[in-house]
Amino acid sequence: MKLEVVGQSVIRVDGLAKLRGKATYPQDLYMDNMLYGKTLRSIKPHANIRLNISKAEKMEGVIKILTYKDVPHNHYGVLFKDHEVFSSTKVRSIGDPLAFVVATSDKIATKALEEIEVFYEDLDAVFDPIEAMQDNAPKVHDKSNIVYKYQLRKGDVDKAFQQCDVIIEEEYKTSMVDHAFLQPEAGLAYQENETFVVCAATQYPHFDQLEIAEALEVPLEKVRVINPAVGGAFGGREDITMQIHLALATKLTGRPVKTIYSRQESFVAHSKRHPLIMKYKTGANKEGKLLAMEATIVGDTGAYASWAINILRKSGVHATGPYEIPNVKVDSYAVYTNNPFAGAMRGFGATQVPIAHEQQMDMLAEKLNINPIEFRLINCFRKGSTTATGQILEESIPLVECIEAVEKSLKQTTQGGV
Amino acid sequence: MKKISLKINGKEYNVEIEKDMRLLDLLRDQLHLTGTKEGCGEGECGACTVIMDGVTVNSCMVLAFQADGSEIITIEGLDKGDKLHPIQKAFLDEGAVQCGFCIPGMVLSAKALLDKKPSPSRKEIREGISGNLCRCTGYNKIVDAIDKASQYLKEEGEEK
Amino acid sequence: MKKRGIGYASTFYGTGYGNGFPDISRAIAELGKDGNVYIYVGATEVGQGAKTILSQIAAEALGIDFSKITFICEDTSITPDAGTAAASRQTYNTGNAIKLAAEELKREIMNVASEELNVNTTNIQEYLKKIADIKGDKVIRKDGIFTASTTEMDVETGQGNPYYPYTFSVYGVEVEVDTSTGIVEVLRAACGQDVGRAINPKLIEGQIDGGFSMGLGYAIMEDLNVENGKIKHDRFTSYLIPTALDMPDIDKIIVEDPESTGPYGAKGIGEPVLIAVAPAILNAIYNAVGVRMTEVPVTPEKLLKALREKERGA
Repeated sequence: MKLEVVGQSVIRVDGLAKLRGKATYPQDLYMDNMLYGKTLRSIKPHANIRLNISKAEKMEGVIKILTYKDVPHNHYGVLFKDHEVFSSTKVRSIGDPLAFVVATSDKIATKALEEIEVFYEDLDAVFDPIEAMQDNAPKVHDKSNIVYKYQLRKGDVDKAFQQCDVIIEEEYKTSMVDHAFLQPEAGLAYQENETFVVCAATQYPHFDQLEIAEALEVPLEKVRVINPAVGGAFGGREDITMQIHLALATKLTGRPVKTIYSRQESFVAHSKRHPLIMKYKTGANKEGKLLAMEATIVGDTGAYASWAINILRKSGVHATGPYEIPNVKVDSYAVYTNNPFAGAMRGFGATQVPIAHEQQMDMLAEKLNINPIEFRLINCFRKGSTTATGQILEESIPLVECIEAVEKSLKQTTQGGV
Repeated sequence: MKKISLKINGKEYNVEIEKDMRLLDLLRDQLHLTGTKEGCGEGECGACTVIMDGVTVNSCMVLAFQADGSEIITIEGLDKGDKLHPIQKAFLDEGAVQCGFCIPGMVLSAKALLDKKPSPSRKEIREGISGNLCRCTGYNKIVDAIDKASQYLKEEGEEK
Repeated sequence: MKKRGIGYASTFYGTGYGNGFPDISRAIAELGKDGNVYIYVGATEVGQGAKTILSQIAAEALGIDFSKITFICEDTSITPDAGTAAASRQTYNTGNAIKLAAEELKREIMNVASEELNVNTTNIQEYLKKIADIKGDKVIRKDGIFTASTTEMDVETGQGNPYYPYTFSVYGVEVEVDTSTGIVEVLRAACGQDVGRAINPKLIEGQIDGGFSMGLGYAIMEDLNVENGKIKHDRFTSYLIPTALDMPDIDKIIVEDPESTGPYGAKGIGEPVLIAVAPAILNAIYNAVGVRMTEVPVTPEKLLKALREKERGA
């Protein structure tokens, strides 16, 4: 097939506006008669709470202070509805939203935050996911902290390890990291023809629309989400941040309401990459053929599940790396703690496991005295390979080509660039 | 309130400002020159970079009254209507833009660099934009673009 | 002392929501009154280039110039649901939905050209405005729906076909470790990236550079340093991400092996370009100084400590 447009490096259509400073990100929106919102957030990781907003409410310029009492349906979340729009009786992590002050200026809203009294009654908290898995650990929600377990069983690992000439066992840990997109969260909401219009940067406008409609208990078509220029996302704009706050604020005040998060607030407001603890055992025979792999993976999802199920599942499915291994056993857990909540981030569980499986590969290669490239070529997926989940890879499997191309490039003696 | 006058993108402004107002807020909230972005509010990310009297500043770290009498260039001051500035054109041609939030500041840092040093090495380019964070591009196409902009500017100079 | 080492990593990545979860993209292609083609779709441009790539797919399917396409994705009131801009699914899933909608639109335009203008052609570009004028207020709109292939895995054994398709990536890096400071510098890198078919090579290269930067941060810099539930590194003064000075130039090798179910053979690459970066760096660190770093990020402090422990052991 001859292709005309596909395959061409055409100039990106949104580039010009961005280069001229004309692309509109949510913080660039202004409306007449606009109010400003600020979010009050928990400073405790696990506590019963009570709020007194009476002093803040009376401040000049404060129009409305939203709390859980104002939310028709106070729950949301991408899979489980385990987030509260505003915490009602307890907080589960630092950063949980408690209230949203709507005022005539940003300054007044900020000042009013300080005038809200929050009474915290500390609860035992758990920050280590392994501890959180124990029966006697403090419960983040009123149930087991183990949100999910994925298990993979293929062949017989115990028998296969006995046939291995080399075995490597190691434990790996990854850190909690942030998307750090350059555009901090911002949004503006207003009413138009009895519809609540929310402008915010999101990865999935139609899902935001659904979550806003559910929280406000209004029909879906009464909510319109406008997604102007998005300043990076990487998974960090999957979960709602201020969308419901803004929609509710414009509903209750009748005026446009805008909010912009500072960088520090952005860090606490959106999800994080799941830190994983990965215990690996991998074995091969002396010819360099992988025979068995066993992995136990524990992911700390913090106080809310977000996409934890899908992420730890993806970790489990990708735990072998792109290699054919006839005997595989994987247990992959997602666990609640009182840490900041973790969710989607570029790679989605498949970013963490290569930290383990690729170092296992190099260690095995070293023990076998085989070049790491050669070792990968012996074991890697090709057309017709079967994955650990039994999926047959039938086409577009150019891994060998990728490996050989990279090796060739690095072998060139001239160093590129600076 | 305080009255100041300054020149922005060649145009004279006489504005009334609050004492604690940042230059960034003056540009964005009062004058609606929203091409200048705020990414961190503490001078670390460079998204709010503008050129003030020939040198780049983080406009979140400059109080508006400090800009009294100065000459400011923001991203809105670079292109002449339909005609892009050579740096903007190079960024477009090289595919240096992704989400775009860092781009106004990045382009102005590139301008300040090329004004001072018309033929920078790749290392000098990297140094010149090291105060501007970008999370999307990995910077390499931005470095390519500034390299190309250097050529474009020279070609433009020869035409004149 | 400065020591150099080389490391490699290879990875695979399954596209889509996975595990049988309905993974559906919807798109609309419309011949506007002005004779341009409008694509309406709820797929977000997050910076990855969705607007450009998905417009290229539409232009290809219609056989018209890229400039005749207007892409609209910003408003739920006029766009159909195309799922989330995540799971590296927009090029593959939504690309397929747009291709279907555009092909339907082309068929209809060809029908009208045949019936109303007595023109039988697959080259519709020059007739777009005429046909738009003929149709007047009755604009031609066609839907495209694409549902990804995924099955639910067995609960006991985890067996099944959870994702489709898979994308493959390989990175190789050379690092230099300063054994007196623990600082790791990546000197050069190469990426072999399976793309199925490259829709826009320059945008793919941009994704590789960006993925490398994020992987570099993950390997040696980034940690929120959470203590008792509190993020200690909550600003860019303490949460360090790579700057232009930290990045090496990268030999970006795009490997094409078209996937028959992808739009023109294309697969998603947004996440794949990241995931092999950090382990390649870790393997290179070992190759340089002989210490196995099992926890990321490998900060200078951690690496120095490991180097000292190794010395003591030896």
